[in-house]
Amino acid sequence: MEEFFQQLTNGLAVGGIYALIALGYTMVYGVMKLINFAHGDLFTIGAYLGLTLLVSFGLFDKIGPLPAVILLAVMVMILVAIIGAVLERVAYKPLRHSPRLSAVVSALGASIFFQNAIMAIYSPKFLVYPHDILPKAAVNILGLDIPIMRIILFMTSLVLMLALYFFIQKTKIGTAIRAAAIDQGAAKLMGINVDRVIMLVFCIGPALGGAAGLMVGLYYGQINFSMGWMYGLKAFTAAILGGIGNIPGAMVGGLLLGVIEALGAAYISIAWKDAIAFCVLILILIVRPTGLLGERVAEKV
Amino acid sequence: MKRKLFTLGFLTLALVALTLGSAWAKTVRIGLMCPLTGSWASEGQDMKQIVELLAAETNKAGGVGGDQVEIVIEDDGGDPRQAALAATRLTTKEISAVIGTYGSSVTEASQNIYAESGILQVATGSTAIRLSEKNLPLFFRTCPRDDEQGMVAAKTLSALGFAKIAILHDNTSYAKGLADEAKSLLEKEGKTIAFFDALTPGERDYNAILTKLKSAAPDVVFFTGYYPEAGMLLRQKMEMGWNVPMLGGDATNNPDLVKIAGNKAAEGFMFLSPPVPADLDTPEAKAFMDAYKAKYGTAPGSVWAVLAGDAYRVIVEAIAKSKETSGEKLAAYLKTELKDFSGLTGKISFNDKGDRVGDLYRVYKVDAAGAFVLQP
Repeated sequence: MEEFFQQLTNGLAVGGIYALIALGYTMVYGVMKLINFAHGDLFTIGAYLGLTLLVSFGLFDKIGPLPAVILLAVMVMILVAIIGAVLERVAYKPLRHSPRLSAVVSALGASIFFQNAIMAIYSPKFLVYPHDILPKAAVNILGLDIPIMRIILFMTSLVLMLALYFFIQKTKIGTAIRAAAIDQGAAKLMGINVDRVIMLVFCIGPALGGAAGLMVGLYYGQINFSMGWMYGLKAFTAAILGGIGNIPGAMVGGLLLGVIEALGAAYISIAWKDAIAFCVLILILIVRPTGLLGERVAEKV
Repeated sequence: MKRKLFTLGFLTLALVALTLGSAWAKTVRIGLMCPLTGSWASEGQDMKQIVELLAAETNKAGGVGGDQVEIVIEDDGGDPRQAALAATRLTTKEISAVIGTYGSSVTEASQNIYAESGILQVATGSTAIRLSEKNLPLFFRTCPRDDEQGMVAAKTLSALGFAKIAILHDNTSYAKGLADEAKSLLEKEGKTIAFFDALTPGERDYNAILTKLKSAAPDVVFFTGYYPEAGMLLRQKMEMGWNVPMLGGDATNNPDLVKIAGNKAAEGFMFLSPPVPADLDTPEAKAFMDAYKAKYGTAPGSVWAVLAGDAYRVIVEAIAKSKETSGEKLAAYLKTELKDFSGLTGKISFNDKGDRVGDLYRVYKVDAAGAFVLQP
């Protein structure tokens, strides 16, 4: 039983990251019906920028771990948000009225561009965040030793997700985003600047992805230029699992995917854990084609 | 007088012919297929630097039998599909022989392409057994085979007194081959295999696997995969507070392992490997290491890239001594006449299958400062 709970926390830690990245996919899809394949690479950029800022400013020595992490997160999120907005401007906006496939190809191209740009700038080697900058202590909860960093990691992703949820549901700008997601034409007629909404979506999604990248860098330490591929793929799966275009769905999907993977590895086979996760995905999609929380698409008659 | 003029004219003509002749001297083209991009890119970049350095040295010393050497490089991306394309491209570039590549599955995708074009291939990091069991007469490698490593692994684990052994691989053909080999040998010796499974390479979080491994309570974990995953395993193992000893296969031999894991987590980790560049003590190796450091500022990352240098050196030796450039003739020379050639990584001879002969493996242990220390 102890092992079960241990594996559950393992799964939740991984799932929290998936969920945070999945939000970027799902928001962009919700508004633009576009899978932003470059999103995984924006996550990687977040990890690399975090390392550069951390090393070049020596923040941890100057202001202590907690303020340093917060400051770092804010800087990384702003920078990645800017990159996201530029990406939208350069790669997607000119294709707004082209067939949807053109935008998908443009997204794939942007992904390849980012990946190779990171490799060219930072070298293909694995880079490592400095060791021992974060507390390594563990707390004992119900007989389980859980590293304190893992709890912070999980809580941070939860807080970011909830903040986003309330932003979308309760504020005026959030309402505009939702309106643009339902019908861009009608939203325009109601006086909503849809271009600006899309720009904003391309700031928020990448910012969350960048934050996830920073968290992975800080917690796991090792980063490399192709890491966005695996995380992007898993987060994309999580977004589908929860119902793409649906924000709570991305959170549930991410956490669930992490837990399924951990439990599949623990009780069936480690080598088969991805296969197990994808089987569960297929089963869920057979029963609920729009994902767990996906809204039913009204049939046009 | 006429005769004198004739001689003079003849001499002038001969001189012109000679100068022109040397300007026309043909070049010997040698292909290099290596992973310049992809997850093994750092190995590939080192391979390229080493081979280019050695070729520049050859050319400065007058080339091979008077001919300049030209290296033609193609990127295989560490990916079998891309390797097949790279190999096809190289076969059209009039190369006499090809060096490479690193990963076994990647080399495998290119083997038949070179064989059909009659090009000699010398692989550098591809240790999977089956590569040399296909009766391809033009295939060679400067690295040892997995079955040899499996034997050394079983011997080492027994010698260290471990009885309950966990084996973890990563489902690549190399790591799985080594894991299977070690498992069957250890079972024959009556050891218990407490755990046998594979992780997914390229992930960051291996806590789920470590939790499961821990519940199997092994005396030692033998990981046959690559260094990025080994580093993460060591690091997360320490964070879990579980201090079981760990032994790695030769793909964990890379200084980045310690960088990823951190000195504290990596301390005590052991791995099997051909000697690392710094432990190579032949005069050739020392001269090479000095030249490399002078040109690039650092020492080469791992021994696998140095094996590409050895591949280059045996090819050039074969071309120079046999005065031939056809794949068949070169292969015949390497198999029958090249004996105990003094390579960068020790003496090199090949058997009939094109495998390197000799005992190359050593046991290394990581010390508290993160250095790889050769175990006696």
